[in-house]
Amino acid sequence: MVVVIALLFWAGVHNLRQRRQMALGHRVTLIPAAPASDDSAPDAEGANLIGKTAPAFTLKDLSGKKVSLADFKGHPVVVNFWATWCGPCKLEMPWFQEFSAKYQPKGLEVLGLSQDDGASAEDIATAAKHIGVSYPILMPDENVAKEYGGVDYLPETFYIDSAGKVVQVTAGAPSKDQMQALIEKTIAAGGA
Amino acid sequence: MRSREQHWLWVVCVVAGLTTVAAAQIQLSGLSAAAQAKRQHVELLTDSVQVTAGKAQDVELSFRVEPGFHINSHTPKDELLIPTVLKVDAGQRIRNVSESYPNGTSYRLPIGDGETLDVYQGEFRVRVHLVAARGDSTMTGALRYQACDSASCFPPRTLPVQIAVSGR
Repeated sequence: MVVVIALLFWAGVHNLRQRRQMALGHRVTLIPAAPASDDSAPDAEGANLIGKTAPAFTLKDLSGKKVSLADFKGHPVVVNFWATWCGPCKLEMPWFQEFSAKYQPKGLEVLGLSQDDGASAEDIATAAKHIGVSYPILMPDENVAKEYGGVDYLPETFYIDSAGKVVQVTAGAPSKDQMQALIEKTIAAGGA
Repeated sequence: MRSREQHWLWVVCVVAGLTTVAAAQIQLSGLSAAAQAKRQHVELLTDSVQVTAGKAQDVELSFRVEPGFHINSHTPKDELLIPTVLKVDAGQRIRNVSESYPNGTSYRLPIGDGETLDVYQGEFRVRVHLVAARGDSTMTGALRYQACDSASCFPPRTLPVQIAVSGR
């Protein structure tokens, strides 16, 4: 009887946990692609980070220098996962460049985390220059992507307030106005 | 006594049932995540071809891109984009292999000022030039592609290709 009760309790807890995760998952901002079927939508595991402390990471930039998320403590930070082969990424990145300059007085920092597995720093640098961005571009590390929910769908962007909490997550390229609103929300969330 | 046996039988049944359901649930959620991570956006429509044995000829292989998605053509306009490439394995029974690709169609990404891409959408056919031996053979290979929808992209995927070749 004890075993039955324990199993029932475990099943209830498991079910509740799954429903909570699904509810959190629905808060991700999925930008308006036209996927054909329900299961073609990206998994929203990254959205589970909303309200939580952003996972720490240390990655090399294109010159080989180590850059940590902790280096930007006290700043609102945009962590943008992108790849050189991703067309929508290339279209939205110049907006991040523009907003990083516009909101620099508010302390905004933008980090571009390349997902080009196997690409050289030189190739990624060439692409970044071609796209027209000068904010820090960091080299790929699949462990960091896993910490951020897998990032199997690009672009994926995490808006982190100055307290280090994830305020919003977007999967897919938003409109420029949506991006600006998310940045302003992130800055406001940290009281910057 | 009989009542006590029935009671224990009921307990055993409940425990077995719950264990089975829990195990199935865990397995299903695991499969779902794995399947999502590896999901293909292109399918191979051709499963067999008939050819004249020993003669150089072309066969067409048909593929279909999942509705709502596009993949880069074999000759995308931007060198950073990943082209669609079919690689057919040559062997003793299937020789002199080469591939030729259809032209892509224009697709404009609806983001900001947009960008016009050269893509395959819906069904497309790749022509394979080959010489096949008499009898039954299997053509193997792989289609490498990279799929996007209107706002986002999935990492490059490789679709295994396996086709029955009948040489008469």
